[in-house]
Amino acid sequence: MSGATLTAPTGGWTPNALAAELEKALGDPGRIVRQSAALDRAERFPAGICRELDALGLPRWFVPVAHGGELRDSEDLAQLIRVLSRRDFTVALAHVKTYLGVVSVWLAGSDRQAAALAARVSAGEVVSLALTEQAHGSDLLAGDLSAQPLPSGGWRLDGEKWLINNATRAGMVCVLARTRPEGGARGFSLLLVDKAALTPGSWRALPAVPTHGVRGADISGIAFTGARVPAGALIGAEGEGLETILKGFQITRTLCSAMSLGMTDHAMRLALRFAGGHRLYGRTLAELPQAARALAESYVDMLAMEAVSLVGVRSIHALPAEQSVASAVVKYLVPSLGDQVLDALRGLLGARAMLVADHADGAFQKLDRDHRIVGIFDGSTAVNLNLLVNQFPALVRGYRAGHADEPGLAAAVTFAGPPPPLRPERLALYSRSGSSVVQSLPAAVAAVRGIAVPGSLVARCDRLLAVADEVHEALSAVRPSPRGVTEETFALARRYAVLYAAAAATHLFVAGHAARAADPLWRDGLWLDAVLARLLRRLTGEPDLDDEDGPAVDALLPVLRAQHDEGRLFSLFPCELAKEKP
Amino acid sequence: MTVDLRPEQDHRARAARLERALGPAADPANPLGHRAVLAADERGELLADGERALREFGLNAEFVPEHLGGRFTRADRLGQLMRAVFRRDCALGIGYGVTSFIAALPVWADGTPDQQARVGRTLLAGGRVVAAYTELDHGSDFSRTEFTAEPGPGGYVLDGGKQLVNNISRAEMAVFFARTADGPGSRGHSHLLVDLTALPAGRVRRDRRYPVSGVRGCLLGGIEIDGCPVPGDALLGAEGGAMETVLRVFQVTRAVLPSMVVGVGDTQLRTVLEFARDRQLYGRRLADLPSARSTLAGCFADLLICDAFASVVARSLHLRPGETSVGAAAVKYLVPKLLQESSYRLSVQMGARSYVRTGPYAIFQKTARDLPVVALAHAGSAVCQASLVTQLPRLAERGWRAALAGEAPEPVDGGSVYDLDAPLPPLHLGGLELNARGADSLAGDLVRLHTVLAGQPASAPLAALTGLFVTELRGLSGRALALAPRDRTVLAGPRAFTLADRYAHVLAAAAVAGVWWHARRTAPDTPAADPAWACVALHRLAGRLGLRPGPLPPEPQDRVFADLTARHEAGHTFDLFRGRLASGPA
Repeated sequence: MSGATLTAPTGGWTPNALAAELEKALGDPGRIVRQSAALDRAERFPAGICRELDALGLPRWFVPVAHGGELRDSEDLAQLIRVLSRRDFTVALAHVKTYLGVVSVWLAGSDRQAAALAARVSAGEVVSLALTEQAHGSDLLAGDLSAQPLPSGGWRLDGEKWLINNATRAGMVCVLARTRPEGGARGFSLLLVDKAALTPGSWRALPAVPTHGVRGADISGIAFTGARVPAGALIGAEGEGLETILKGFQITRTLCSAMSLGMTDHAMRLALRFAGGHRLYGRTLAELPQAARALAESYVDMLAMEAVSLVGVRSIHALPAEQSVASAVVKYLVPSLGDQVLDALRGLLGARAMLVADHADGAFQKLDRDHRIVGIFDGSTAVNLNLLVNQFPALVRGYRAGHADEPGLAAAVTFAGPPPPLRPERLALYSRSGSSVVQSLPAAVAAVRGIAVPGSLVARCDRLLAVADEVHEALSAVRPSPRGVTEETFALARRYAVLYAAAAATHLFVAGHAARAADPLWRDGLWLDAVLARLLRRLTGEPDLDDEDGPAVDALLPVLRAQHDEGRLFSLFPCELAKEKP
Repeated sequence: MTVDLRPEQDHRARAARLERALGPAADPANPLGHRAVLAADERGELLADGERALREFGLNAEFVPEHLGGRFTRADRLGQLMRAVFRRDCALGIGYGVTSFIAALPVWADGTPDQQARVGRTLLAGGRVVAAYTELDHGSDFSRTEFTAEPGPGGYVLDGGKQLVNNISRAEMAVFFARTADGPGSRGHSHLLVDLTALPAGRVRRDRRYPVSGVRGCLLGGIEIDGCPVPGDALLGAEGGAMETVLRVFQVTRAVLPSMVVGVGDTQLRTVLEFARDRQLYGRRLADLPSARSTLAGCFADLLICDAFASVVARSLHLRPGETSVGAAAVKYLVPKLLQESSYRLSVQMGARSYVRTGPYAIFQKTARDLPVVALAHAGSAVCQASLVTQLPRLAERGWRAALAGEAPEPVDGGSVYDLDAPLPPLHLGGLELNARGADSLAGDLVRLHTVLAGQPASAPLAALTGLFVTELRGLSGRALALAPRDRTVLAGPRAFTLADRYAHVLAAAAVAGVWWHARRTAPDTPAADPAWACVALHRLAGRLGLRPGPLPPEPQDRVFADLTARHEAGHTFDLFRGRLASGPA
C-alpha cells in the first residue's frame, strides 16, 4: 500500500473511476484476504487493516464535500464499499459502518452538529448506529430504550440496544430513543451520543455477540442507565427520529448492494480459478458444458445485480421522491440474487467451498458466511418486501397513468458523468408517483426496437412488457388483509422487484449503448439479452429447458473470461483491478 | 462395555431408546443437549459425551449385519433411526456413525468371511473403520485416483495420499480405494482393507486435519503413505473390481444418508417454529402471520417429501434392487437440495436470529453451516445428476414408454415399497444392479395411481396434481429420446442436466403419492393418510418445476400447519416416522 491518501480521481469521469483508484491504493487483494482469513478464524477484529484504511484517508469519504470531506455523491461510497468487500467483508463492514452512524446528521442535523461531526469523523472517529433491541428485532416502533427530557435541558437515556455493529469500538453512537411513552410514528428521536462525555457508570458496552459470519466484527450492544446527554445531541427535531432513520435507510440500504457486488466478484474469481485448473473426466471443469453454463449464469446474475444497484444508487440523487421504492427493491433483490450466485458457485467448488484454511485460505466459506448478513441487517428481506407491499396502490396508479419523471429518469440511468446533487429534503417515506423506472418501461422497449439488436432481444423486451402488465394487474387485485400480508402478496412484491431490475437494465442499456458500442459486452445488446432472459424466467416462473436462453447466456462466457484474465472488475463498465500476486 | 447382540425387531422401540439416550435437546443441563453440542462445535470437537452415549447404545451394531452379530437389517429403518443423532448434532451423525457405515459396505459386499468378521468385531467393540476414497485433486472423479497399491513381496505396497477422510487419524481400520493397474478403464482400481495400527511407523502420517465451516467437530483428516507394504489378504473383493462395487453399494448410502439428514431439517424447522411462537412483531405473534405460517407449513411439507422419497428408495433397495441405481442418485441429488433451500427460507423468516451463535435459537446457524457440508458428503449433486443423465434415454425407451402406455407390469411387491411400516426381505448388496436398464417401476406406479385417482371424484385435487407429473413424464420422455449422443454421457450439457433435475422431481412425486395412497389403507388414522400433506407436497414439487398447479387452497395448508404445531406440542418428530422426542410429554 502506498503512503498517499485517497483523493478524487483527476482523469475523466467514469462509473468505476474511484473504484480503480482505491484498487491502486490497496494493491494485491491477497494480502488482506490472507490476514482476514486468519483473523476470522481467531474471531479477532481487523484492527490493523482498519488502521491502514484510516491512514489512507478513507474516513474523509464518509463526510460530504459540503462539510469539508471528500464524499461527492452516493456512487463514491458504492465504489469504495465494492472494492473493500471484494477483499474482505469484515473490514468493509467495520469501516463503512461509520457512514451509517453519521448519515442522519448529514440529512437532519444542524450545521454546527455537522461541522463538529465532520471534524471527528475525518480524524478517524468510529460512529455506530444503534437501532435494534433484543426483544423486538426489526420492529423499530416497539423499541423500549427511552430518552426523557431533563429539567436542565438535555436528555436522560435508559435502555439497551443489541446486535449493534461497532457498538463497543465506536466513540460516538447514533441512538434511536423513545421520546414519547406512547411511542408511535412521532414518538422516537435520534440522539448522537458521545461516549467520552457520558458519566462513568451510566452506560456500558454489552458483550460481543458471536455470529455466523463476520466473526471478527464488533457486533455487540450498549446499555444506558440514567445516562445524560446534552440538548445538542438531538438530531433534527424531537419526534423526527423514525422519519430521519427511514430516509437515511433509503440511502444506506441501496448502498448495501455494493457489498453483494464486491463479495460475488471475489467468489466468481475463486470459482474461475478453480474451474480453470481442476481436471475432471479428462478436461478442465470450466470446459464441461454444465459447469460453464453455471459460471455464465452466475455472471449474468451479477450483471443484473450491478445494473439494478447502479440505477438504484443514482436514483438517490436523480429520483429522490421515489427512493422508497428503489431502496426496498435493491435491498431485497441484490443480496438475494447474491445468495443464489454464491449457492451456484459453491456447487462448482464442491468440498473446497467448505475448507476453512486449505483452499485459497478458506476465502470462499468466509465470504459465503459473511454475505448472508447483507440480506439481514439494515432492514431485512421481510422489512423491505413489506415496504413494497405498502406502496402497491401507488405503484399501480403510477403504472396505469404511465407517470414518469422524465428528467429524473434520464439522470438516473445515464452514466456519462456524475449524478445530480443530493437533495435530501426530497426523499419521501412513500412514493406518491410510483416508480418512473418501471412506469417508463414501454418507452425503453420502444427505444430498444430502434437500436440494431438481435430479434431475440426485441422478443424478450416485448415479453417483458406483457409481464409488466400482468404484474400490475396482480398488484391491483391485492386487498389489505386483516390477518397480515400473505405469502402470495410477498411473492408479488418479489416479482415486482425483479420487474424493476429488468426495467432498470433496459434503461441502462438504452442510455449507454451508443457510448459503449466498441465494448463486446454491449455490442448487439449482448449483456441485456442474457440479463433479460434470466430475469424473465424469474418473472414468469416458466422453466428453462435449455431451449431458449442457452445461446444468450453462453455468449457472455468470453467476456467473463476476458475480464478475469485481464484483471478487470466483473462489471458492465471497465475497471482495472490491482494485480493479484500468486 | 456390553453390546446387545440380540437383533431387535421393534424399530420404534429402538429409535425411542436412542432418543432417550440422547435426552431432551433443549435441556441446558443435558450433557448431550443442544447447548453442549453448540459448545463442542465452537471448540471444533466432536462431543465426547455424545460419542460415549452412542457407544453405550451400541450404535455401531446398527451398521453390522445380523449374521455378524449386529442389527443392520433394513436400509429404511437405519435412515430413520439415525435421524435422532442428526437432529441432535450433524457432526456426531457423520463423525461417529456414517463414516463407519460407508466404509463397511464394501466389506459386507465383497469381503471374505474373515474380513467381514474382523470389521464386524471392530465395529461391535466400538472401533472405527473409515472410507478412504477422496483425493482433493480429483474430487468426485474416482477414475483419476492416484493412490496406488502395487504388487510387492507378500502382498501390496501402498503409496499416495487421501484427503478429507473422516476419522482417519484415529481409526483402527480403513478401506482404501486404490489404483492397482495403469491405464484407463474401469478395472484399474481395487479396495484394500488395511489395519492402520499395523502400518510401519515413519511411513505413514495421518495427523493432518482439514478444518471445515460446517460439522466443525468432525475430524476430517488426511493420510500420506510412503511405500507401505500390506499383506495380500488386504485385497477386498477381486482385483480391479472396486469401481463396480462402489457403484453397487453406494446406492445404499446415497439413499440412506439423505434420509438421516431429514433430522437436521427437523431441528431447523422446530427451532424456527419456536422462534415464530415466541416472537412478537408489529403487535402479533410471528407464528400468527399468514406468510410465516405458509413458510413453516411449506418447509414441513418439504421434509415429508424428503422422507417419503428417501424411505421409498431405501425400501426399493430391498424390493426392487434392479432399479435403485437411478432412485438412489435421484434421492442424493434432490433431498439435500430441498433441505438447503428450506434452510434458506427459514433463515429469512428468522432474520438476525439466524445469524447469531448464542441464545435460544443458536442451533439454527450451526445446522445452516452443517447442511452444505453434509449435502456434499459422499457425492455432490452434480455427480448424482450426471449418473442420472447417463440412464435417461434408456429409461425413456423402456420404463417411461411402458408406464405412459399403461403397460407397466404391476410390481411383484404389490406396492410394498410405499408401505413404510411393512416388513422387508433382506438386503442383498450383490443384487443391486449397476444400471436400471431402463426399468422404472415408480413411474409405472405413478401413472397407475393417477388413473385410479382420476376415476374418483373425491380425489379430484390429487388426481389433477398427479396428472401434472404424468404429463411432465411424457414431456421428459420425448426430450430424453432426442438427446444428442454427448448429452448421454457425463460430459452432458445443461439440457440433459435439466432433464435429470426434473426427473428427480417426478420420482419424488411418485413416492409422495404412493406413500399417501398406501397409508390410506394400511394406516388410515395417521397423518400420512391425510390427503392434505400429499396435496401440499405435490403442489410444491409441481411449483418447483413451473407446472402451474394453480393457487394452493388454504384448507390443506392449514391442516399441514395444524399437524406441525400438534407434533411440536406433543413432542413428535416432523417426518413420516413420527417418533417421540425425549423432550416431549411422557
